[in-house]
Amino acid sequence: MALATPAGRGALAVIRISGPDVRGILERLGAGRVMEVPAREATLVRLIDPRDASLLDHAMATFFPGPASYTGDDLAEITVHGGLIGPRQVLEVCIWLGGREAEPGEFTRRRWAAGKMDRLQVEGLEALVEADTPTRHRLALSRLEGALSRRLDGLRDGLLQVEAYLAHHLDFPDEDEPPTSMAQVIAALREVEGRLAELQASAPLGQRIREGALVVLAGRPNAGKSSLFNAILGEERVLVSPEEGTTRDVIEVGVDFSGVPVRLLDTAGLRKTEASIEASGIEMARRWLEGADLIVWLHRAAWGPPTAQDRQWLEEVPAVRAGEVEVLPLASCVDEVGGVENMATLGEWEGVRGVPWIPLSVSSGFGLDEFMSAVFSRLVGSTQAFGAVDQGTVLVREEEARAVAEALSAVREAVGVLEGGLGAEIAAVEVRHAGEVLAGMVGPIEEEAVLDRLFSTFCIGK
Amino acid sequence: MSATLSGSWDVVVVGGGHAGVEAAAASARVGCRTLLVTPDLGRVGQMSCNPAIGGIGKGVVVREIDALGGIMGRATDAANVHFRMLNASKGPAVWGPRAQTDRGLYSRAVRGLLDEVEGLELFQGEVESLVVEGSRVVGVGLRGGIEIPVAALVITTGTFLRGRIHRGLGEGVSGGREGEAATVQLAEGLEGAGLRLGRFKTGTPPRIDGRSVDFQRLEEQPGEMPDFRFSFWGREGSPGARSCWITWTGPELRRIVESHLGESALYGGALSGAGPRYCPSIEDKVVRFPGAERHKLFLEPEGLETGELYVNGISTSLPVEVQAAMLRTIPGLEEARITRFGYAIEYDYADPTQLRGTLETRGVSGLFLAGQINGTTGYEEAAGQGVVAGINAALGVQGRASWVPGRGEGYLGVMVDDLVNRGVDEPYRLFTSRAEYRLLLRQDNAPERLSGKARELGLLPPMAEEAWREREKTRSLWWGWARETKLPRGAIERVLGEPWERAPETAATLLRRPEVDFEALVLEGVQSQAELRGARDPEALRALEVDLRYAGYREKEEAKAARWRDAGKIRVPELIDWDACVGLSAESRMRFKKHQPRTLEEAGRIPGVRVADVELMERLLRRDFPPLRKEGASA
Repeated sequence: MALATPAGRGALAVIRISGPDVRGILERLGAGRVMEVPAREATLVRLIDPRDASLLDHAMATFFPGPASYTGDDLAEITVHGGLIGPRQVLEVCIWLGGREAEPGEFTRRRWAAGKMDRLQVEGLEALVEADTPTRHRLALSRLEGALSRRLDGLRDGLLQVEAYLAHHLDFPDEDEPPTSMAQVIAALREVEGRLAELQASAPLGQRIREGALVVLAGRPNAGKSSLFNAILGEERVLVSPEEGTTRDVIEVGVDFSGVPVRLLDTAGLRKTEASIEASGIEMARRWLEGADLIVWLHRAAWGPPTAQDRQWLEEVPAVRAGEVEVLPLASCVDEVGGVENMATLGEWEGVRGVPWIPLSVSSGFGLDEFMSAVFSRLVGSTQAFGAVDQGTVLVREEEARAVAEALSAVREAVGVLEGGLGAEIAAVEVRHAGEVLAGMVGPIEEEAVLDRLFSTFCIGK
Repeated sequence: MSATLSGSWDVVVVGGGHAGVEAAAASARVGCRTLLVTPDLGRVGQMSCNPAIGGIGKGVVVREIDALGGIMGRATDAANVHFRMLNASKGPAVWGPRAQTDRGLYSRAVRGLLDEVEGLELFQGEVESLVVEGSRVVGVGLRGGIEIPVAALVITTGTFLRGRIHRGLGEGVSGGREGEAATVQLAEGLEGAGLRLGRFKTGTPPRIDGRSVDFQRLEEQPGEMPDFRFSFWGREGSPGARSCWITWTGPELRRIVESHLGESALYGGALSGAGPRYCPSIEDKVVRFPGAERHKLFLEPEGLETGELYVNGISTSLPVEVQAAMLRTIPGLEEARITRFGYAIEYDYADPTQLRGTLETRGVSGLFLAGQINGTTGYEEAAGQGVVAGINAALGVQGRASWVPGRGEGYLGVMVDDLVNRGVDEPYRLFTSRAEYRLLLRQDNAPERLSGKARELGLLPPMAEEAWREREKTRSLWWGWARETKLPRGAIERVLGEPWERAPETAATLLRRPEVDFEALVLEGVQSQAELRGARDPEALRALEVDLRYAGYREKEEAKAARWRDAGKIRVPELIDWDACVGLSAESRMRFKKHQPRTLEEAGRIPGVRVADVELMERLLRRDFPPLRKEGASA
């Protein structure tokens, strides 16, 4: 049994008991009445300490007979008054009656062991409780509901079908005409390959959702970084003035960027300066640039195309030089030059590492949407992946992405083997491997690291 | 009383079919005095269904039985009238040797080979009862009041347990095979011993007189590879050659079957047991595959000295007149005279999950079941179980450790594991797809996989042991050479027939290129190392070649095997510090300390230990650093 609500002051506290002896414990707690009303209906009981027949509390109790309960065993939920003492006393009496405090996550573990949920669903539940952004919450919920499990089941089913084709080919060569040609088997495998690839395409998004991203606004002083920062936030967080060097330190804020938790940084404009405060701000900005996932480079449209000197600061960031961080160039304040239609030359501005300049005007709102979606697609590889959030089929965990990649490469290997005319017996090894890898994501099959984390750090679902 | 039989035996085997024969031979070879009891000694090694041995998966089993010193391989070689390597166009991992055999020769060969086995006696009699004391079998009772004491008993009664033969509607006729009586009392005895029995069915097709067949209208399928032997140590050879013939059913046959479906024992409701999906009757084919216009039939020779043909592919339980009408629609068989009608047979089997991996019943010690009685079909499956049961019956009597082949050692291991751990819901047959180590479990390397163990167990007769030594010598010398000796550039160029600019390479690495010719490599080997010249066992070289060619893929299989290996086998270190295993519940910790389990499986079986704690231990033990006590410190 366990306390299902946080310990401490609160209006109510919920105690959950599950196991073979729940009926006996309820009986002796004076809550036997709950087993007389229809199952899963709450009823008012007086909880009694059987040691001295004293009153413990008035409580609402609900009884869920196994196997149709959360854990599969008999289960009861007792809602008592909250507080530090009362719930604790009830737990102590339960222990005296032969109960035992559940290990962290044990209720969910038992549910899992009873085959009532698969591992992805357990993880969904864990993530649901820990979710701190609406997208994380939405993904966790659909995972709990089995969206990803169903998707993977479908893939395993496809692989099983292929395995069955291959088995027919290998085990029954002498029978009637084969129901499928090798070309059909390859086509079926290709379809699985396509679906796996689609799933894999959600991995960068999953990584972003999991880890978040660091987006740094950079550019010469007075390029409009702080205006953009405020526009994204929708509030005046940062002092904006036409005076160069207004922003001297680094200002950070957390933004939910279409589901991706982004740390957005406004930095000091990059220029040579004598002012020591501003100089150290610039130095700090450089360090942030080095660690960024995306650098947004603002350059005022009115300044004309950036010169080699303008570009130099970028080259001074090693990560940019190494191509490890992407740069999104923005031509800002296009309203100053009379709007983008007057900027015939923008198309001629040399892009940054092949990325063209996006015109933007914070004051008119022009280009903001395009900018937002450009940031998103830079961060997650493509905008299409976002549909996976709605379907709840994002590979959020690193090992999921690895498993799908492994399955995908096995399927590709199998296709290659069959197309190259090598034996079906070899392709079958790959197909089975792919199926097992996917099964490992859903099923109770080992994959120690996952189980390990799952059941040791997992403190919910009691 | 046993006094009426002159002799006493450690192991008695009931049944002289494929399982019984192998069980008896294996038991005697392990060193137990063994008696085989069967109702008709003239029918030892009888083939009840089609006159063929082997096939895909099944052929590998025959070779595994042979690698364990068994009978089936040699008997098949002696009766082989038509050989084909199935799947020969595919990779060697799925090759399936298959022979049409002369029924009479096969049976006689079996009898002759049994007579060669020391310590084995045969006796004609019908077993009616088991004598069980406590939970141990101590004897069998034969019809006529003879009782034989046993230390271990292997029952291999095939389809005879309460067998009923059906053609058309009605009750059917009691029988274990056409013309042979069913075994009824023994079924009651097994139930009395607490075994759960279920009901399965299977069927057999009509046979026809070859003289009435119009062969002009059939496609001939001659045999091939006449020099192939199933046995790696026997010297039996093919007695002669016969062809098979191929024809097809057509729409007319379909109409006949459809209009008489209600009269089929299978579809009219006379039979209730589950039948095999992969060996369907013609009724099943018509009902389940309405889109199929025709079905392939093989006419298989029954033997050298008879023209009788077995019509494979048309197993049926329809009334005799319908069977006759059906055959008249088949091209080439319009005038065919039926010599024996097809029938369906329904019989008792014992749920194999009641067995241990040794095929000993869990409930009654000393009692082993093998063959079709365990819910399998097929001569090869039966024989394979016979070997496992016979070996372990004898080992048990001798007080030696049992031996159960693993899933990675042979199809025998796959089968036994499937049977006892997963059970059966239709007659069980082996397929290569049941094996997770398909690239390893091949027809060409059974001795490499099993004969070392066979030798240890005493299963190999001197002839087999000698042949195995020869193979082993070839293998170990060439294996070493192929993996360790880097071929100089000149040699590589001779093998490839093209220039080689890169560094010297081993034969093993070169063989991963499919175009590299193994023969050419062998030639280089012989020239570079004199001792290789004397080690040229061709089969061993062939197995080696396949191993090397599959090496890359085998590594994947192996890696997977390692990851999937049964968690139960994980050892618990003797010095484990239970107090330092964070997260264990107090009660489990106490019980672990008390029982000191040696493996995770043992840990899980301690009463009162919670599953959650066993899982926790698994995670701890799978890492390399379970907490250990300082040596010498008190527990």
